[in-house]
Amino acid sequence: MTFWERMDKIDRRWIYLAVGVAGVLPFLFPTPFPIGVTPEARSLYDAVEALPDGSNVMVVYDYYPSTIAECEPIAIAALHHLFRKNCKVITLSNIPYGGPTMAENVTRMMADQYGKVYGVDFVNLGYKYGYVAVLSGMGQSIESIFPTDHTGTPLAQLPLMDSVKNYSDVAFIFEIADNATADYWVSIVNAQYGVPIGCGGTAVMAPKFYAYVASGQFVGLLGGMRGAAEYEILIDREADGVVGMQAQSLVHLLIIALVILGNLGFFLSRGRMKRGVA
Amino acid sequence: MRTTVPIVTAFIAGFVLVVAFFFRGSTLIGSLRDEFTAWITIIGGFTLALGVASIIRVNWTAVARRKRDWPYKILTLVAVLGMGIPSVLPVSWSSLLGNTPGSIYDWLFEYMQKPMMATMFATLAFYIASAAYRAFRARSPEATLLLVTATLVMLWRVPMGEAFLNLFPGDVPEWLNTYVMGGANMAVQRGIIIGAALGAASMSLRLILGIERMYMGKG
Repeated sequence: MTFWERMDKIDRRWIYLAVGVAGVLPFLFPTPFPIGVTPEARSLYDAVEALPDGSNVMVVYDYYPSTIAECEPIAIAALHHLFRKNCKVITLSNIPYGGPTMAENVTRMMADQYGKVYGVDFVNLGYKYGYVAVLSGMGQSIESIFPTDHTGTPLAQLPLMDSVKNYSDVAFIFEIADNATADYWVSIVNAQYGVPIGCGGTAVMAPKFYAYVASGQFVGLLGGMRGAAEYEILIDREADGVVGMQAQSLVHLLIIALVILGNLGFFLSRGRMKRGVA
Repeated sequence: MRTTVPIVTAFIAGFVLVVAFFFRGSTLIGSLRDEFTAWITIIGGFTLALGVASIIRVNWTAVARRKRDWPYKILTLVAVLGMGIPSVLPVSWSSLLGNTPGSIYDWLFEYMQKPMMATMFATLAFYIASAAYRAFRARSPEATLLLVTATLVMLWRVPMGEAFLNLFPGDVPEWLNTYVMGGANMAVQRGIIIGAALGAASMSLRLILGIERMYMGKG
């Protein structure tokens, strides 16, 4: 059996081990490399930066707990930027599976850092079933869709919501999504109500969102952990996104090396077969 | 009756919401739209409750009849009830109830559900690496094009790869972002988005007109 034949039959557990090592090593021995900022990330940053201080901004947690590694650093970086500008933050989620809880915990953690007060500087609306109805209904009246916040407090008792009745009172929407709800924010909220939307999505979703950036329906885009890292660099607060990119770097390089190795073996074995070598 | 009522309901609801798209403000059709929108979330709430009732009934039956893998069903029931019941009880009874930070629900979510779901998703990286090694082969010109493009994009999306690409003359990362992601990729994505939207519109029309009846369990 030749080397390449042996490699072709390699136990997959060796590959799993290599991926595991590649994922852990950078946390033990950090090797930072410069990260370039894409025009899509910069335009999102510029749009938020251009908002007047104290603007009302919706931050939407449309991601499942499974994608926190990519989406949570985006949410944290966005909240750093927004709270730094004293923006009033209204959070909600169209994901029943933990979305409102992540919105609550991440926003409260960030609000504590900036000394923000619940009900005055930020509000968590929570979750309501049926994102098409929710997105469309909030255009008329947020209170008709969310009579209470995440914990059951009536919106009338929250001072921030006195000045936020529908989309016309919202200056910007920061959508963080790992699924197709982002499409509905585009087709319902941006197209029908004209609210500018910036999107942070998983790396898998990002290629699709390029179409919305080009059409101006998203003012900018953060793609996956790389997008989070870019935003952290832009707001000058390097955190989980930048650190995580080192692990992602090694794993990507490992996969590329495996693809090259697999193809080398494939072509060499095919060449031997054509020449009739046993 | 079983067929006519759902078809008429679907027709009225669909027709009103389509026509209401062209109306704003306090018109009759606008008020109807607001009413229908509220009903969507109310009915949806009942479907969620129905889902919980269904998962309890199915798993309870499996446990009671000692069906295959019944011990796992007990775990499912414990998880559903253990997270669900404390979260719906009023926080005024105890700070451990409800869904606020520090509650039982919050603790279970933060320290069990979230890490478990993230771990399950992370295992994809292991499978992708193994699959890439065994299946991602340049067997045809199309597969080769895909392989080369994917490799370049994977390099560009990570700092080490980007540093490597910057060793070559010209701004390779910028070229990839402009022509691969913003060019070829976007053209294909637009085709998919337009195709899916046309499909959704045609399916909606079939539902509104009563041609599509699969939602009633009819062919």
